[in-house]
Amino acid sequence: MTLDSLRIRSFRAHKHTEVAFAPKVNVLVGANGVGKTNTLEAIHYLCLTKSFVASNDTYAVRQEAPYFELEGTFSGVRSRPMTAKLVYVPHEGKQVFVNDAPLDRLADIVGQLPVVVFSPEDHALTAEGPDERRRFLNNILSQAHPAYMNTLMKYRRARKQRNELLRQYRKKPAPPPEALLAPWTQKLVQLGSQVVARRQTFLHTFTDYLQDAYERIEAVAEEPTITYDTLADVSTDEEGNAEAIADAFRARLAEKQDHEYKRGTTLVGPQRDELVFRLNDLEVRRYASQGQHRTFAMALKLAQYFYLSDTLERHPLLLLDDAFGKLDTERTNVFMQLLQSNDIGQSFITATRSAPFAATVPFDEANHRLFQVDTKNDAARVRIAPAHADVSA
Amino acid sequence: MQFTSESVETLVEELAKLPTIGRKTAQRLTNHVLKMPRAEVEALASALVDVKDQVMQCSTCFVVTDQDPCPICSSHRRSRATICVVEESSDLLAIERTGDYNGLYHVLGGVISPLDGVGPDDLRIRELAQRIDPSFPDGPSGDGAPDAPSSDAAPDADASDTDAPEGDDAPEPVPVEEVILAVNPNVEGDTTAYYIAQLLEPFDVALTRIARGLPIGGDLEYADEATLARALEGRGAV
Ligand SMILES: [Zn+2]
Repeated sequence: MTLDSLRIRSFRAHKHTEVAFAPKVNVLVGANGVGKTNTLEAIHYLCLTKSFVASNDTYAVRQEAPYFELEGTFSGVRSRPMTAKLVYVPHEGKQVFVNDAPLDRLADIVGQLPVVVFSPEDHALTAEGPDERRRFLNNILSQAHPAYMNTLMKYRRARKQRNELLRQYRKKPAPPPEALLAPWTQKLVQLGSQVVARRQTFLHTFTDYLQDAYERIEAVAEEPTITYDTLADVSTDEEGNAEAIADAFRARLAEKQDHEYKRGTTLVGPQRDELVFRLNDLEVRRYASQGQHRTFAMALKLAQYFYLSDTLERHPLLLLDDAFGKLDTERTNVFMQLLQSNDIGQSFITATRSAPFAATVPFDEANHRLFQVDTKNDAARVRIAPAHADVSA
Repeated sequence: MQFTSESVETLVEELAKLPTIGRKTAQRLTNHVLKMPRAEVEALASALVDVKDQVMQCSTCFVVTDQDPCPICSSHRRSRATICVVEESSDLLAIERTGDYNGLYHVLGGVISPLDGVGPDDLRIRELAQRIDPSFPDGPSGDGAPDAPSSDAAPDADASDTDAPEGDDAPEPVPVEEVILAVNPNVEGDTTAYYIAQLLEPFDVALTRIARGLPIGGDLEYADEATLARALEGRGAV
């Protein structure tokens, strides 16, 4: 799949930008804050209806503009080029159009235009709390299996409703009556065990992808593994069996019942799942070196790329936001060779200097393109840079 | 943008409160109203008031109607042993349009949703149980629903005698044999169906649910007729 052209209107630093991309490596070079990352964000919005940086949609609208609009033309999705458009109007919300027809639900676009991002925030994946790891898990599964996202959203809704009921009774002398709570518990367990089952079977397959990705970028023979820490007492031979998981879920809820009444909230479920990353026997989050953290996070993202590629039978777009800043030359070169190989489709790279890429990427060929991003009349400007110029900020 | 006229601003605000109408659309509608002939504006305004004043609920099935009991409840041609439970009157109309259903209805008036402050006692669930077993107790279920509203939902026992347009012609009551739960297949709909299934378990009625064939997250009201007819035909036990 390739993004052939992108039109951006009133989005962050962009006032009105139109770019035609090359089918393989696209490098955007410019100073910090001119709108390079914003260009990648715009692509991400088209694919997943949101940014890859935590931010409110309202702030994405350019100052004094009433709304923002993004439009991309994609090849390799349908038999003919497909146009995806996203419009966001503050207080009215987002709307996605495919070939000018509005989608009923934003979620319907997810998985059609797969995307994987490498960014400096990736260090949080291995270094910070479990939220980041669950978000990573949900991102891959939602793109690969639309039914997963549907189940996850319903699970969240059921949990929110159940929490509200528990909250309403928290300060009352008696807990919620069984007749009122049981229907929500039943829905919570039914949906929650489907989420856990899907995560289990996925992680089983994904570990192979992770080990393969790790080998591609790291010469040292360390074996990366993922342990899935979920509801207690789900034995490994019951893996992926939603019925067995539901039993374990119900048992755990029964144990925690008094706690739930006292706290007025749901205390059991996949919202508390954790992924433990290890290199051989070393727990990455606690004991890995900075270099190992970086390599592990990159391997996770690369594994995500290949998993989505195989599952959807389509190359995702690969966004690399300032991903080479801390990488040594040798590893940068390995990565640039990979990006030009047939294993990877189209990629978009932001950097402050073109030097490390100019040496490894033949920008004079039609497959690759070098862009210079700067500011003109208070707005971002994206232009094709001369092939051999050493563009830098 | 704020309007210089207070009455224009008021209209924009009132319109913007309606579902799916944002402030922008409300402004467009207001601009349109300003250009409409006075007679048309009056017709619109009185249609809005009339719908509140003249439309009532059927005291048996709670559908919005101009007469009580409603034409469906008072029809002699409909099978009285089957009740199809829907969320809103608009869902009833959607099923009627299929032409494939010949039983009676029961309109709940919504679904159970703690986040919206709606509990079972805010819906016509007890009235449904009373249609199956008239001895089902009145008043809050007694298991302490939070802030249960005073029950204005129970049908007035005498109302049917005085208001029934067909007098002696009223159809004979028949024991209910099947209850079809046609609530929407979303989290709240599923949970409401489960609650009702629990409540009706002691009674000798077959409980079925239509959901299959409906698109995921789809609304009954917007399902096309063929889909809805298929869903009705393929209903399964709860
Ligand atoms: Zn009626």
